[in-house]
Amino acid sequence: MPGDACIMGLFKDEAKAARVIPELAAAGFSFRRAHSPIPSHRILEALKLKKGRVGWFTLAGGIVGFFLGFALAIFTAVQWNLIVSGKPIVSLIPFFIVGFEFTILFSVFGNVIGLLVCSRLPDYRGLESYDPRCSGEHFGVLASCEAGREGELMDFFQKKGAEVKVFA
Amino acid sequence: MNRRTFLKLASLSSVSFAAGCSPESPKHLYSLVQAPDNMVTGKATWYASTCRECPAGCGVIARNRESRAVKLEGNPLHPLNRGKLCMRGQAALQAVYHPDRLRSPLLREKDGFTPIGFEQARALLKEKAWAAARKGPDRVRLLTETVGESQTALFQTALRNWNSRPPLVYEPYAYEALKTANREVFGVDGLVSYRMDRADVLLSFGAEFLETWLSPVEYAWKFKAMHAAAGTHKGLFFLVGPLQTLTGANADYWLGCAPGSEAVVALGLVRRMLDLHRGRHLAPALRQALLQATDGHSQETVLKLSGIPLDGYERLVGRLAEAKLPLVLGCGSGLSDENGLRTNLAANLLNLVLDPELKLIDTARRHRVETAGRRVEVLELFKTIAAGGADLLLLNNVNPVFSLPPENGAASALDRPDLFVVSLTSFLDETAQRADLILPVKLPLETWDDYCGWSDVVSMIQPAMGALSQAPHLGDLFLEAGFEGEPPAPDFKAYLARRLQTQGRIRDELEWLRALQQGGVFPPTGPTIAGAAPLSLAQQLPAALATPYSPPSAAGLAFAAVPSVRLFDGRGANKPWLCEIPDPISRVAWQSPVRMHPDTAGARGLQSADIVTVRSHGGSLEAPVFVTEVVRPGLLVMETGQGHGAYGRYAEKVGANPFALLSAATHPGCGGPSSLLAEVTLESTGRRLKLANTDGSRTQHGRAFILTTTPAELLKGGPPAKTGLTMDNFPLTLPLPEGYDPKRDFYPPHDHDHYRWGMAVDLDRCIGCGACAAACYAENNIGIVGETRITQGREMAWLEIVRYHDERRMQRVMFMPMLCQHCDNAPCESVCPVYAPHHSAEGLNNQIYNRCIGTRFCSQNCPYKVRRFNWFDWEWPEPLNLQLNPDVTVRSKGVMEKCSFCIQRIKEARTRAKNENRPIREGEVLPACVQTCPTDALVFGNLMDKDSRVRRLCDDPRAYQAMGYLNTKPAVIYLKKVLHEV
Amino acid sequence: MTNLTFAQIDQTVLNTLERPRPRYWLFVALMLCGVLLGAAAWTYQIFTGIGVGGQNIPVAWGTYLINFVFWVGIAHSGTLISAILHLFRAGWRNPIARAAETMTVFAVCCAGLFPFIHLGRVWQVYYMLPIPTQRLLWPNFLSPLMFDVVAISTYLTVSSLFWYTGLVPDLAVVRDRSTGLRYKIFRVLSLGWTGTHHQWLNYSRGYLFFAALATPLVISVHSVVSWDFALALVPGWHTTIFAPYFVAGAIHSGLAMVLTLMIPLRRIFRYEAIITLNVLENVAKTMVLTGLIVGLAYGTEYFIAWYSHNAVEWESFRWRALGEYAYGLYFMIICNVLLPSLFLFKKVRRSIPWLFALSLVVNFGMWWERFVIIVGGVAHDFAPHAWGFYAPRLVEYCVMVGSFSLFFFLFLLFCKHLPSVSMTEMKETAHHAG
Repeated sequence: MPGDACIMGLFKDEAKAARVIPELAAAGFSFRRAHSPIPSHRILEALKLKKGRVGWFTLAGGIVGFFLGFALAIFTAVQWNLIVSGKPIVSLIPFFIVGFEFTILFSVFGNVIGLLVCSRLPDYRGLESYDPRCSGEHFGVLASCEAGREGELMDFFQKKGAEVKVFA
Repeated sequence: MNRRTFLKLASLSSVSFAAGCSPESPKHLYSLVQAPDNMVTGKATWYASTCRECPAGCGVIARNRESRAVKLEGNPLHPLNRGKLCMRGQAALQAVYHPDRLRSPLLREKDGFTPIGFEQARALLKEKAWAAARKGPDRVRLLTETVGESQTALFQTALRNWNSRPPLVYEPYAYEALKTANREVFGVDGLVSYRMDRADVLLSFGAEFLETWLSPVEYAWKFKAMHAAAGTHKGLFFLVGPLQTLTGANADYWLGCAPGSEAVVALGLVRRMLDLHRGRHLAPALRQALLQATDGHSQETVLKLSGIPLDGYERLVGRLAEAKLPLVLGCGSGLSDENGLRTNLAANLLNLVLDPELKLIDTARRHRVETAGRRVEVLELFKTIAAGGADLLLLNNVNPVFSLPPENGAASALDRPDLFVVSLTSFLDETAQRADLILPVKLPLETWDDYCGWSDVVSMIQPAMGALSQAPHLGDLFLEAGFEGEPPAPDFKAYLARRLQTQGRIRDELEWLRALQQGGVFPPTGPTIAGAAPLSLAQQLPAALATPYSPPSAAGLAFAAVPSVRLFDGRGANKPWLCEIPDPISRVAWQSPVRMHPDTAGARGLQSADIVTVRSHGGSLEAPVFVTEVVRPGLLVMETGQGHGAYGRYAEKVGANPFALLSAATHPGCGGPSSLLAEVTLESTGRRLKLANTDGSRTQHGRAFILTTTPAELLKGGPPAKTGLTMDNFPLTLPLPEGYDPKRDFYPPHDHDHYRWGMAVDLDRCIGCGACAAACYAENNIGIVGETRITQGREMAWLEIVRYHDERRMQRVMFMPMLCQHCDNAPCESVCPVYAPHHSAEGLNNQIYNRCIGTRFCSQNCPYKVRRFNWFDWEWPEPLNLQLNPDVTVRSKGVMEKCSFCIQRIKEARTRAKNENRPIREGEVLPACVQTCPTDALVFGNLMDKDSRVRRLCDDPRAYQAMGYLNTKPAVIYLKKVLHEV
Repeated sequence: MTNLTFAQIDQTVLNTLERPRPRYWLFVALMLCGVLLGAAAWTYQIFTGIGVGGQNIPVAWGTYLINFVFWVGIAHSGTLISAILHLFRAGWRNPIARAAETMTVFAVCCAGLFPFIHLGRVWQVYYMLPIPTQRLLWPNFLSPLMFDVVAISTYLTVSSLFWYTGLVPDLAVVRDRSTGLRYKIFRVLSLGWTGTHHQWLNYSRGYLFFAALATPLVISVHSVVSWDFALALVPGWHTTIFAPYFVAGAIHSGLAMVLTLMIPLRRIFRYEAIITLNVLENVAKTMVLTGLIVGLAYGTEYFIAWYSHNAVEWESFRWRALGEYAYGLYFMIICNVLLPSLFLFKKVRRSIPWLFALSLVVNFGMWWERFVIIVGGVAHDFAPHAWGFYAPRLVEYCVMVGSFSLFFFLFLLFCKHLPSVSMTEMKETAHHAG
């Protein structure tokens, strides 16, 4: 909501940060996001998030690649239609190698695209409400509250043993 | 090309000979609005002429494209060579286009030569000649190479006018001993020809008739006529001699005798034959004389003196005794010493004993080289000159300074200040260097002349190309210089025509034209008058036979100089093709190794490539060692031809010259030299030379490249052996659908479009002469890489004659033409990333130069290693580039190339067939190698045509494919070599 | 594993990105000269013709292809370590994964150059790319060399992407600890990574798939390289074990190169606390395994050659042991199998000098293995009349120097300008440990 204040609690301890998240809601604050220097299972569990959707992109890429590889090999072979070493023009066994490599290549393309899309990268706006310490040793929990309750939120965080950072 | 097209083209061409041919290649290209009527751009015309690379005188036809002769082929109508040509004949073109060919006369002045105009030079010659003539008799002397009758006649007239004696013909190999032997025994003071083709047993004492002896191409086809396996029959060829040359390598049995002991064996054989009652028809008196003369030649003495193994000797005696039509040939060209003379005498007598009617000896058909003067006369001439006996010496294309042993003082004689030497040559060779005036004359391919390789034929020589230089015709030169008043004819062409007419060789203009078309006036083929019985053989035998044989000291090393099949007596040395194509026995190119037996080398701690110094009384030379079993222990062998001090960029400072070692002595009996030295010393220099050899292993490690069989096996015949998948029992799988079998083949067969080109190579006919390789170089613009690059393994030959020694008997040498096999399942094709090599609709293994990017995987994967890579851009120094075949791409650096079965000829034939809308005829396509093979070992044709020769040869029991078990299904079908049991 | 705090880890790694000393630039310059030398040699070759090298008929492939296979081999351990060991959750791979991946990328670059250098007409190389032309000329996908084109380019793309993906969180760390220009650069490079739970969720997922895809790829790539030979019919090449044989060899040489790079790096960058002796020891242990696999392959080749009763095959292997190039065979047996088995002794495994020395030995041995195969095979193949020898020439040596220089040039630049150890993964390790 506009006018809401964003306050981040910075925890040295992953466990504390994870524990805070459900309590925020109970205390009537709204949780925005958590920053961590390493992937944190505790936080993800606390948020009850299911697996990402990257895999679907990867799979799609793979399927495209597989057929593309075979298609290219067969199409080009048929175009020239030259016999080499007495082998048939379309020899699927050797073409499998092309198919395979293309499968991997395009799966990876899919994977990268998936990664960028799902985690919305590149995106530099996130840096505005972000504390560099979060890439160091701190686990940051960003929460917001209606105007006027900033104090409460800060106390809340401090009670939990966090340093507090306020974003205008 | 077949006979009909040849006639068509020849008639077209010779009517208006080389008119419209321009000396320089144009800087700009203009379309010929009015082309000369005998020249259609892009269409070849053929001119019949005669090869003058050696005295044999084979007929040639020259392929002329846009006024340039680009290829020489044998004249199919010529009775002597029957359309075939040897390596040296093929290379004649490179003399015409040689970059070091003299463009203008050179006059010696204080500081070396200065070029002068032709007019001036001709005037000078005339002036000098007449000046000398006025001084007195015999002040003008002429030393010439072997020339035709008309030219000789003109020489004689001119010299007579100059008040001098007739010309002297100089040939380094003048067959003095043979001529004497013929005179003594047959009463013919000359060189008879032999009907070798009809013999059943052939015995040679060293005559290298497949290389240089008398008429190599002629004797090559005659030899195979008697020696090729016909069904289960195959003639026999025995060689008695201390070494094997190419000819010896084709012998069924080599009886290695001590150097110089051939005569003993020959006489021993005469004796044995008489004892075995051969020649009982001889006059009793003669028999008696023979028995007396051969008294000292009991079998024991013969074996002791010659060192021949008993079993071999007995086999020879046995086969000779029961032979129906045996023929015995004397010793090699160079041997005109005591031993040579006695051997030739004994050989002739042996012929007489074995066949009193001498059916195989044609005394009427004589070899032209018989006109060559004896060595002693040549030396006499130089002595006279040295003593100031002449003012003017004319040298017509001879190089005695190179080919005479230095002791003969030819050089010093020429250097005599008061002598004016005119050298009529196009190349600055050792002799020309000492001349006062070098006056280049037109080369045979540009000039008018006649020649008679056989005394009963006239072989025409006519210009086959545009003139490259302003040099005069030799004949015109003498017509101009030799007559004070009106010359007998305006030019030599007219002189020639008139003379032939007066001789009754031709009657009118029409016959003159026919002669030009066909390349000469040929007798009805077949033998001339049967060999005349010995006329003058007096009851007492030639004295030479009496002299006893004294074996040389056992310790010493003997040395033999043998003429080279590539360079002959050295005149081939300036032709890059001949230097680049390796020697058939050693497989070494460019260099001139000295061959010796492993024992000889081993005893001195030498091995191949060590450089040694060979010293004789005459001189000394340095050469690399080549160890081989085909030389008798204790003998060193070198081929002549290399070791020039001049003679152009390709000959200079290459190899060593064995003539320099030989002795100047001549034999009193026959006046000939000896190419054999009984005593030389050998020492190692400690240095090594990387041999420019193109072979890897000398044996084939039991692999299925060269396969052999025996008459007995062929006789057995019977059902085909059980086939399998190993190297030994893999079946013949034709490169056709029927060649496929699901049990062996993973992939299905594929069809071809009317033609499936293939080649059959009869290893039993191949004599390893290398004519095919030379033809291939000439036809396909193959690059010359030179000595260093060959040592690096970069030779470019599309077709090479592979030489293998028989693992069981190392002294048996076998040859195999190895070229692209145009496999049906070619391993080279699938590995190329860009389809540069692929399978054509007619079964060819195409190589697309423009597409090739040079990964070289194809070569790696070729089990025959016939692919060649352009490591650099090869050079054709001007005007050598004018010889390049316009129908074949010149490949640039970085692309792979290989034999294409002369696809340009296939395409030409297809166009012709298409215009006449008919299929290509059998024998219409002849790749260059097939066309020139003197023994018809190669057969090319369409494998899909059941009646084609090549297809029928596939059914021959001897047919096989090289390394067939790799299942590449080669289109080159080899026929096993037939060996007589050892 | 390691009991460093996050802060210490960051500190140790970020220290390596301090302004380098002049000596560093000296080395960089030196390597650059090497690169230029190689480039000059190549240019000369292009204008003169490939013949300036020592290749010939029959040995048409020389050091260019040897180095190609050598570098592709080096390129393998990187992906192995970061991908396969990642799947196996082998914690000890984390400290060296980053450097190994980088090595992979650069090694593939070096390898990728050689097929070009090797070509007779490199200016026509685009014939190998499936570019539509009006003449409809296409490459031949039946050719092992086309397999190479596809495989190697895929491998280069994938390993680079993999490398960069792994780098992103660390780039963020650098960004957050830097100011000025470096901040600007890393801000862009790190794609605005902030390590939100959402990003991490997808990131770890994607990274896992990356590993899962890279694993079959890395195995396929060197198999394909081995088929350049196995699909030819040359004796000594045409064997079915080539794929596993080459893959094992590749990993063997790759691990050796990892040690060769890591040991100095560890020393110079004071990584002792991160790249502990145990890590190096584990690499050594793995090398014992790969070494034995390679040894088994050598043995199998000989066994099959004898067992097949194929005269040509047997002669080829007899010659390999007794012929002109026999020394190559003994180099490879001693350096790749015998000496690395010294790693069976703990003392050797844990001694830095030994580790370093043996790593060099294996690199040397693996180069000779490729020589023996590539040159030896064709030098003595089916046609005895065509047997011949090959020796590299000056131009080839220069190009070889050039390729090694290029590799170290790039690596030097990398390790001073990017985090050469993955801080994030180290933190994870530390986190799970602590």
